[in-house]
Amino acid sequence: MDWCRLKEDRESRLKQGDAYRIEKKLVAAKDTGRLLEAVIRPGDRVCLEGNNQKQADFLAEKLCRVNQEKVRDLHLVQSAVAMDSHIKLLEKGIAKKIDFSYSGPQAAKLAELVQKGKMELGSIHTYLELFGRYFMDLIPRVALVAAVEADREGNLYTGFNTEDTPVVVEATHFKQGIVIAQVNRVVDRLPRVDIPGDWIDYVVEAPRPFYVEPLFTRDPALITEAQILRAMMAIKGIYAEYGVQRLNHGIGFDTAAIELLLPTYGEQLGLKGKICSYFALNPHPTLIPAIESGWVTGIHCFGGELGMEEYIRNRPDIFFVGPDGTLRSNRAMSQTAGHYACDMFIGSTLQIDEEGNSSTATASRIAGFGGAPNMGCDARGRRHASEAWLKCGEEDGMRRETLGHMPRGRRLVVQMQDTFREKMVPGFVEELDAWNLQKTAHLPIPPVMIYGDDLTHIVTETGIAYLHKCTSLEERTAAIRAVAGYTPVGRKAEREKTKELRRRGIVKTPEDLGIDVSDANRSLLAAKSIRELVEWSKGLYHPPVRFKTW
Amino acid sequence: MALQTLTYTFPGKTGCTIKKEWSHTGVVGSGDLEILLEQKAQAGAVSVQVVTPVHGFEYIWEAVLKDFVEENQIGDLAVSINDNNATPFVVSLRLKQALREAGIPEIFLEREGEKT
Amino acid sequence: MSRQSFLGATARERAAGLTDAGTFQELAGPRDRLTSPHLPVLGEAVSFDDGIVTGVGMVRQHPVFVISQEGRFIGGAVGEVGGAKMVGIFQLALAEYEEWKSHGAQEDCRPAVIISFETGGVRLHEANAGLLAHAEVMDQIQCCRGKVPVLGLIGSKVGCFGGMGFVAAAVDVIVMSPEGRLGLTGPEVIEQEIGKEEFDSADKSLISRTTGGKHKYLMRDCNVLVPDSIEAFRQAIGDILEKPYEEMEKCRRIGSPALVKEQLDVAEWLADLAPSDARDVWKAMGNPMAEEYPDMDVEEFLTHAVRRRRGEQ
Repeated sequence: MDWCRLKEDRESRLKQGDAYRIEKKLVAAKDTGRLLEAVIRPGDRVCLEGNNQKQADFLAEKLCRVNQEKVRDLHLVQSAVAMDSHIKLLEKGIAKKIDFSYSGPQAAKLAELVQKGKMELGSIHTYLELFGRYFMDLIPRVALVAAVEADREGNLYTGFNTEDTPVVVEATHFKQGIVIAQVNRVVDRLPRVDIPGDWIDYVVEAPRPFYVEPLFTRDPALITEAQILRAMMAIKGIYAEYGVQRLNHGIGFDTAAIELLLPTYGEQLGLKGKICSYFALNPHPTLIPAIESGWVTGIHCFGGELGMEEYIRNRPDIFFVGPDGTLRSNRAMSQTAGHYACDMFIGSTLQIDEEGNSSTATASRIAGFGGAPNMGCDARGRRHASEAWLKCGEEDGMRRETLGHMPRGRRLVVQMQDTFREKMVPGFVEELDAWNLQKTAHLPIPPVMIYGDDLTHIVTETGIAYLHKCTSLEERTAAIRAVAGYTPVGRKAEREKTKELRRRGIVKTPEDLGIDVSDANRSLLAAKSIRELVEWSKGLYHPPVRFKTW
Repeated sequence: MALQTLTYTFPGKTGCTIKKEWSHTGVVGSGDLEILLEQKAQAGAVSVQVVTPVHGFEYIWEAVLKDFVEENQIGDLAVSINDNNATPFVVSLRLKQALREAGIPEIFLEREGEKT
Repeated sequence: MSRQSFLGATARERAAGLTDAGTFQELAGPRDRLTSPHLPVLGEAVSFDDGIVTGVGMVRQHPVFVISQEGRFIGGAVGEVGGAKMVGIFQLALAEYEEWKSHGAQEDCRPAVIISFETGGVRLHEANAGLLAHAEVMDQIQCCRGKVPVLGLIGSKVGCFGGMGFVAAAVDVIVMSPEGRLGLTGPEVIEQEIGKEEFDSADKSLISRTTGGKHKYLMRDCNVLVPDSIEAFRQAIGDILEKPYEEMEKCRRIGSPALVKEQLDVAEWLADLAPSDARDVWKAMGNPMAEEYPDMDVEEFLTHAVRRRRGEQ
């Protein structure tokens, strides 16, 4: 019995790859394609590093141009399908199968490929799930990763955008896989070592820095009155009500509005120190005013955000930074914090059905999940208590039937939803488009971002539904209808039932919360423009040019 | 498709019109609307004219406007709206702002006083 | 309210705030329901003021005739009705000028026209009527020469582009804030026509450096630079109107053979300089701190700014 086949295979690949080494672990950029052909075999499981932020784009493009006699039928296992090159790999047949987590910008093309039968779709995961499978049954044979700098020994400095690199490299390297890193620069001495050189086989200095998407930058100038109203309602009706101290904010303008209302509306309500002390969060520029006003004690980041480098360097008490002074992000760790250490997740979605399930899928887009469901769920393994978690658990209207008398807390999972978006697209539907996508993309289950039984609150302009307080599924549907405004779902609400739900505190309108709708205006925002965010940061935030209007 | 003109009349309260003779609120930006409120003695009725590029949502306009008239207990009022794809929330909010700018009827203020 | 942002305000708020408090009287306002006759058949939303607020108010002793364009309505594009309202304002101003002359022509009471630009030019939905409106406004500006000063104000979100860029070039005095944008061809169109390498319209900072108030001030396409507040604009209007009329005339960028030559010389100088960025131009004019200009506030910027020398370059 040969117990070392993986090791032998690795050695034979390295033998071929080593022909392209110019110095220690360095390979010239021009030889990248040949290196890939040397170490990748047909049918290999390959991880192309990339998520909703940084991308190993140079390696991805080189992989697109390999000789298909040598490299084909790959099984991609990766966080994101984000680049044109990722789609090209599938179109050309260099890759034939994919397991992934998020595909924002390529969601439509991915759906098209699946429908045409041009590729095999493995599963759609959350980030943490996929990382878990990297150590179980989806171990990459070859990983192509991105770093800021490397030395000749292969030590990597991933710095601000460390993100997924540690988890990808660990899974690959320790199961005898091969790791190739593209770096922006090769230097003699790194500012700090994020990945030890022992774990890296080859380093390529790319002709241009890896691509980073400023995905979490929201321009305050675009925040609407509806978003401000929902933010006021959430702060007063949820943050203050439960004393939420540890949380994650989803991406979007609703949560940006909350962040910008903390130093104004939150201050007026006397909530400083009582809510929002700790975040698992990307470095949102819109959080700068709250940080500067002393609201925030600590933030751990999944990834970096373009332009926030110098600000974070100067706020080491708040963020996680290395001895060199720059941020250390880490997606796997932050997702773990988000799943187990947060009392609340709050975000937005495209569609919510009458049972409270929500999804961003449409019939023609396979968008994936990213990391939201890891936080937008009750962490069933959680055993430590906190005020917010206990209160939410105590209020649970169906716990007696399922658990009996044992006290148990519950994560707050909150969706903020427009009853209608632009062009009168309803935010509440009788059937999620996810069902349709399940059929067209032949998925085993409809892709649901947050399940109805995990969702505790919905915030719309009409009101907050405290869904977890409901004592039956029928009642939960009634509560959803009561806040669904003039949508077809909302128009099914019965006046008397809604009145009863309001009486029992299961539904609260702005009036019930003591909020005058016409007070919801932009003057409440601590910063009304990117420029004002820069002022709040004392000039330390440097917005990307697409956001810099001066 | 051409612009659509919708007209509605709701029974309101006689004499509960706005304080100003007329008042104008809002800008016809994308996703927004303008509202012209004018006093009009018509046995308490509130007449509304909506000009909108959006087709197929007449029932929502009717529901939003009906709620507005009932919640605010107004009457003897002509409402003219130029809409450009505003959502029902924006419509409700602008109507509320328009009424505030036009001067809420005295009777309504008294009722508010009783309540608090 | 005195520090209200010009950028964030509506055309109506600007019109009222640019004149002394309580003096603005809107003419041909929303209750007159002067909507476009062309938009309904195209299924485009209409506005009771057709996107242009017109009226008259006072700035100190001067009766000031106001045109204020609304960028939120079809990008401020000018159509038939809006154009006619603009022309009507000029005609009222000229009539007032005759009154003023027959009543002793006191300089501190001379009537004026102000145009707050927020437009991409012609409203394509009503192309011919829109073009005609531009020509008529140009004509009115010429009629005002030597009589009624015409001030252009640019501090809005949309800025002033397209045909209205030409109209702006023809007024006597231009006041801008750094947030204002002035040009002929808009950034998106340049990118579309020549390519992203020539002009990346997603680069907002680049747009600001090439069309924004600071650049236009340095190039003398703008006469007065003020911070982004309605009050600052009103103050600037008052200060300009206090000057002798001849001084205002001297602010013009075109309108005489000498000025035309000056503009052509600038074009030639720029062609020789072959700058890759507006900052190269600023440096060449004697602004060693050019790199820091975009981040400076107006007050600090003005203490450093060295503007294009006239008649030499």
